[in-house]
Amino acid sequence: MTRGFLPLLGFVIATGLATLGFATSGFRVVTTEGARRLAVEHHPRAVPDAVLVDQDGRRFTFAAYRGKALLVEFIYTNCPTICGILGDDFGRVLATLRQDRGTSGVDLLSISFDPARDGPRALRSYAARFGANAPGWRVAVPATREGLRALLKSFGVVVIPDRFGGFTHNAAIYLLDGQGRLVRILDAGPPATLLAEAAHAVS
Amino acid sequence: MLRLAAAAILWFGLWLPPLRSGLESDMALHMTVQIPLLAVVGILIAPEVRRFEPRWLAEADWLGIPGIVLVLFSTSCWMLPVALDSALGDWRMEVAKFVSLPLLVGMPLGLSWQRMPPLGRLFVIANIISKVGALGGLYLAAPIRLCAYYRLDQQAEAGSALLAVATAAIVGAFLASFFGWSWRRPFRDAWKGHRAVATATDASPSLPT
Amino acid sequence: MSANAGRADRAGVRDGETAARAVELAYIAVVAIVLLLMMLFGLTMRAAQAQYLDVQPRLFYVLLTMHGAGMVGIAGVAGAVVMWHFVRRHVPVNTTVFLANLVLFLIGAVLILGSGFIGGFAGAWTFLYPLPAHSNGIWSANAAAAYMLGLLVIGVGFLLLHLDVLHGIWRTYGSLANGLGLKQAIGLKPEKTGPPPAVPAATMASIVNVLGIVIGAVVLILSLVNLYVPSFTMSALVAKNLIYFFGHVFINATIYMAVIAVYEILPLYAHHPWKTNRIFYLAWVASTVMVLIVYPHHLLMDFAMPPWALVVGQIISYLSGLPVLLVTAFGALTVVHRSGLRWDTPSGLCFLGVLGWAAGVIPAIADGTIVVNSVMHNTQWVPGHFHTYLLLGTVAMFLGYMTWTAKEVPHETIGTEPAAFWLYVGGGIIFVVAFLAAGSASVPRRYAVHLAPWLTYDRIGSLGALLVVLGVGIMVVQFLVRVPALARLPMTAVAQPLPEAAAE
Ligand code: HEM
Ligand SMILES: [Cu+2]
Repeated sequence: MTRGFLPLLGFVIATGLATLGFATSGFRVVTTEGARRLAVEHHPRAVPDAVLVDQDGRRFTFAAYRGKALLVEFIYTNCPTICGILGDDFGRVLATLRQDRGTSGVDLLSISFDPARDGPRALRSYAARFGANAPGWRVAVPATREGLRALLKSFGVVVIPDRFGGFTHNAAIYLLDGQGRLVRILDAGPPATLLAEAAHAVS
Repeated sequence: MLRLAAAAILWFGLWLPPLRSGLESDMALHMTVQIPLLAVVGILIAPEVRRFEPRWLAEADWLGIPGIVLVLFSTSCWMLPVALDSALGDWRMEVAKFVSLPLLVGMPLGLSWQRMPPLGRLFVIANIISKVGALGGLYLAAPIRLCAYYRLDQQAEAGSALLAVATAAIVGAFLASFFGWSWRRPFRDAWKGHRAVATATDASPSLPT
Repeated sequence: MSANAGRADRAGVRDGETAARAVELAYIAVVAIVLLLMMLFGLTMRAAQAQYLDVQPRLFYVLLTMHGAGMVGIAGVAGAVVMWHFVRRHVPVNTTVFLANLVLFLIGAVLILGSGFIGGFAGAWTFLYPLPAHSNGIWSANAAAAYMLGLLVIGVGFLLLHLDVLHGIWRTYGSLANGLGLKQAIGLKPEKTGPPPAVPAATMASIVNVLGIVIGAVVLILSLVNLYVPSFTMSALVAKNLIYFFGHVFINATIYMAVIAVYEILPLYAHHPWKTNRIFYLAWVASTVMVLIVYPHHLLMDFAMPPWALVVGQIISYLSGLPVLLVTAFGALTVVHRSGLRWDTPSGLCFLGVLGWAAGVIPAIADGTIVVNSVMHNTQWVPGHFHTYLLLGTVAMFLGYMTWTAKEVPHETIGTEPAAFWLYVGGGIIFVVAFLAAGSASVPRRYAVHLAPWLTYDRIGSLGALLVVLGVGIMVVQFLVRVPALARLPMTAVAQPLPEAAAE
């Protein structure tokens, strides 16, 4: 063993572990999905105040939801797979909400990231397919490209073209609290769990 | 000098948009072509850098161990799906990738390799094969998308590519050691125009039992 | 060279010899103790099946896992010390690496024992995916992880050792093919120029073990990741093939290493060297090639192979050791034949090892054929087959080496030696025959609780096992009491000078 060997080795190992720990948020996540969930949970973040247009052609912003919990999902109406599942999920949440009025402090919002194809007609037919009615459940598209880009970035949604003219995208349900901050990123799941999280977020 | 020039051309070539976006659009190419080539840039410059390596560093890098450990950590970082994603989504991380792979993987590898005993080298090779194979297996079979920027089918392809690399490395290492230099020599001599005199140059000693 | 330097050189060599001898003695002692302990576990299981002992099934499966992993591992260590001791006379190897392997083995063994007796891990030594992660609460993910980490640590040790041996062979002979004697085998060079018999054996064992460990490490890493991140899955079939590849290779390699004791010790008794002719080299080359051809087959099994391919593969995989077995058996007979060889415990054990190996292959071939396979494969026929060649093959060869080492200490005869030998041989035969008989009566393997009609086999088997334990116990104790004297023995043996041909 030479002089300087142990200090150098120690230094390399310490910095290596530190970097690895940093990259994995403290050895807890290895995927981008895991990382953004953890980040949001620890540091709720404000979302950009982009203008959106809903299925009835009305313009609105997130400010409309102050004081209420909001569940958001990102979709495109032509999606043959996940987006249908997400729509079904929201449909079931809606049904549960109607059953017990007690938790009606929760609204739903589906945002399309495909403005090229998702005009008012497409949004309306998607809304009709799952029984969505504004303002309780808006199906909307950002009014501008910049707005869309800002929204995707702050929610951490990554959309990449698939090989069939559609998109591959990370599927999740986003929870905004009464002050309009993104506080949780959840998996699609039973309505009861989603609503419990939502109730927790407004209280 | 030639090496430095080659390294520079390789590096800039990889950085230029057609090659860069081309290689990064596919997970398999990203992992099995771009990242290794960036490390190669570092390996190419290592012999030129050696002259400037401070003496204490060369000495402290006993048997090349600290250097290899550094390589181990840096490569582990760039094997994480979250790191691959970040390089695609954030230009600063992309720069970090283009800088760190040559300087923190290729260069220390080139410098420390010289200092490692043969056994250490063999051990490192065997380890890398196992790791690449395991990573390939994971990507091939994972039912969920691990990278936000790649599709599931691309991920499986990347897994197959990594497995192919591991397999090729095993077969190559095996053949190289199985037919070591005493077997190559006749060919080499023939190549040089000498008469192949296998019996005279051969290295099989006869030992008393 | 000045006289002084010469003396310093000789002192250096003597120190090297002393260190090597000390590590070898440590190896033998560790193997002896662990072997005996694992045999006691085995005896406990057999006695439990015989209903002599009351053992809870849960403990039985822990014992089964520990016995399997412990025996396979210790057989590897036993093979390693035999190989290293003899191959060191012909090629340069590193004592530190040799010691590192032992230390890593002990660390791994502690992890594995902890996983079983503290963590309750009982997923069988083959840890077939995804069983380790699905314990129904019997063991935790941490226990399974400790087990696999233990295997990984042991694997690292063996990897280093085998790479070091291969490197030495490469340096001395120029290539691994030359180490196997390929040129002599195919007639490119005269037989007399070939490597001594220890070298082809060490070459083959090391090649296959390195490949096995590299692939085994892949499965171990994958299984470990799966334990903690269940969403990372893998194909259970691929995992199984990889594990079996690793397991078969490792366990078969133990005998290729241990057989070196036969090549080196029997000739000393017969005063006439082991004949390394062309057939001998051809056999080692053939076995190596067969192993290497068979194993990709293991890896490809999941691609819906047609049944005939599976059967052929199965048979070749058993036959792959056959060429080596044949030349070894034939060679042993020629060495012994009319040599006036003096039979004692070491020479008897070495010779027995060859017979046990041969006897163990016959049921394996029977098992490999398809008809028998569907009937026998999950019966005690299988433990019958592998206990034959492991207990009466590998272990016999190791014990031959151990008792041969112990003989260096002059001692007044205690008079128990032949008794120990016969207890071990007799008991061993009774023990394995009881397994084989139970197997042909369709008694399933890996059952903690046996039905009444099976008890006869179990009881006879237990008796045999008890005799084995007694015999081996005596040999082990006799060795251990001599360790201090052996360690103090003056080191006269000096390594043979390395062949100059090593230099390019
Ligand atoms: C006194 C000596 C021994 C005794 C009493 C013994 C006993 C046993 C018993 C009762 C079993 C379980 C059989 C069953 O499946 O029902 C077993 C399995 C096994 N034994 Fe032994 N054994 C002995 C020596 C050895 C040796 C020397 C080796 C290897 C070097 C070995 C390796 C194994 C292995 C690999 C298994 C399979 C474990 C499994 O099924 O997961 N045994 N032994
Ligand atoms: Cu979709």
